Amino acid sequence: MKINDNCVGCGQCVSFCKKGAIEVKGKARATDACVDCGICVLYCPVKAIEVSA
Amino acid sequence: MKAIVIGAGLGGLLSAARLSKAGYQVDVFERLPITGGRFTNLSYKGFQLSSGAFHILPHGPSGPLAQFLKEVGADVKIVRSDLTTVRVPLKKGSLDYAKGFKDISFSDFSTLLSHKDRLKIALLIVSTRKNHPTGSSLQAWIKTQFKDEWLVKFADSFCGWALSMRSDEVPVEEIFEIIENMYRFGGPGIPIGGCKGVIDALESVITANGGEIHTKTEVSKILLENGKAAGVLIGEEAYKADLVISNLGHVATACLCREALAVEKDSEYLKKLETLKPSAGIKICLSADEPLVGHSGVLLTPYARRVNGIDEVTHVDPKLAPPGKHLTMSHQYVAPENVKNLEAEIELGLQDLKEIFPDKKYEVLLIQSYHDNWPVNRAASGTDPGNETPIPGLYVVGDGAKGRGGIEVEGLTLGVASTMKKVLG
Repeated sequence: MKINDNCVGCGQCVSFCKKGAIEVKGKARATDACVDCGICVLYCPVKAIEVSA
Repeated sequence: MKAIVIGAGLGGLLSAARLSKAGYQVDVFERLPITGGRFTNLSYKGFQLSSGAFHILPHGPSGPLAQFLKEVGADVKIVRSDLTTVRVPLKKGSLDYAKGFKDISFSDFSTLLSHKDRLKIALLIVSTRKNHPTGSSLQAWIKTQFKDEWLVKFADSFCGWALSMRSDEVPVEEIFEIIENMYRFGGPGIPIGGCKGVIDALESVITANGGEIHTKTEVSKILLENGKAAGVLIGEEAYKADLVISNLGHVATACLCREALAVEKDSEYLKKLETLKPSAGIKICLSADEPLVGHSGVLLTPYARRVNGIDEVTHVDPKLAPPGKHLTMSHQYVAPENVKNLEAEIELGLQDLKEIFPDKKYEVLLIQSYHDNWPVNRAASGTDPGNETPIPGLYVVGDGAKGRGGIEVEGLTLGVASTMKKVLG
């Protein structure tokens, strides 16, 4: 999972991540627990998350 | 008559509720899988955090938003907060909370001034109600009247909390309009269920009136016919309407009809949009077993480095946290030049909280920041360009098109109400 410069750090992705795999502090960051499920992509309000196919 | 609303944030849903009540056939299109924009709940570790707002309405059960909800038949219980307090150092002259502090009532802010300045404030409170000062920032105006630095600190914490602006950025006219509204509507209140309590109630009204809310549906273009808004494009499909309301702010809305706005007569509007600055802020969400603030209102913290104010909504609605826990949220203004240093700003906020709550135990749940395309307000208060666009039949609502003197969602509601008056008469 890649987080681009659109990210503002609102943390919306953190609350929808089922794996607890996102940390946010000014900007979101995926941890090793990320399984690239892509759920967070849908909930990001600024199109900041890209999941590699 | 058909109406299309782009964006299911608070402004979009308020508009949809009002229009559907007036007999319009309303379709709301929302790109995300959830509704509510920056005014809904985010479930996290058993808490109801929020996607933006602080689960608080600036003018509580009698403010513009509460009145609007009542008018459209949205059933939301809003409980007035018991008090607003201001944390000040115990010893006069201290510059921070390190050597102790006390909380005073918001309305007693002038007790910290000299006798002479207190008298002057009392006179100004009367005289400025008739003749509002104009033509400068709030801070510049304060400095023409007083030498006491306390008043600037107090103004900064209030403006930071309420508007996510510094007192030297807020037009003095806007603040006096806000003060007038504080007399008119009273202080803050908390909707039961938090932000989502309001959103759910509005959705019930919309669907009961035959309106439809489509999530995961992105509008790619606003369609025009004979120079007038006539619908939207979603994927390859055109959806026709007599009226289009955009909840995306003026700039993003203009992007959806760029070709139509490229003519010379619109250059003034487009130039105005270039000057719009969204306001930035940081929210730190805390969990605690014992209350940190201790009441359901706002605690302003003018002597903190960054944190402007804190609320603790679980005194009114305990269900916003797991049993036995409190949800406490701090807000801090972020200056435009500091948006690129958010981590450092967050650290300062976290240090502030340690000094504001020195002997208390709490856990930091989530730190949320807002700026640029997902800001505190799309247009900083006092700079909103109104609800109309150069295109007939296309209006903009939301926190990029607030009415004058309205704090946050109250200003947003004033903007929606004035739009509805234009549309419905």
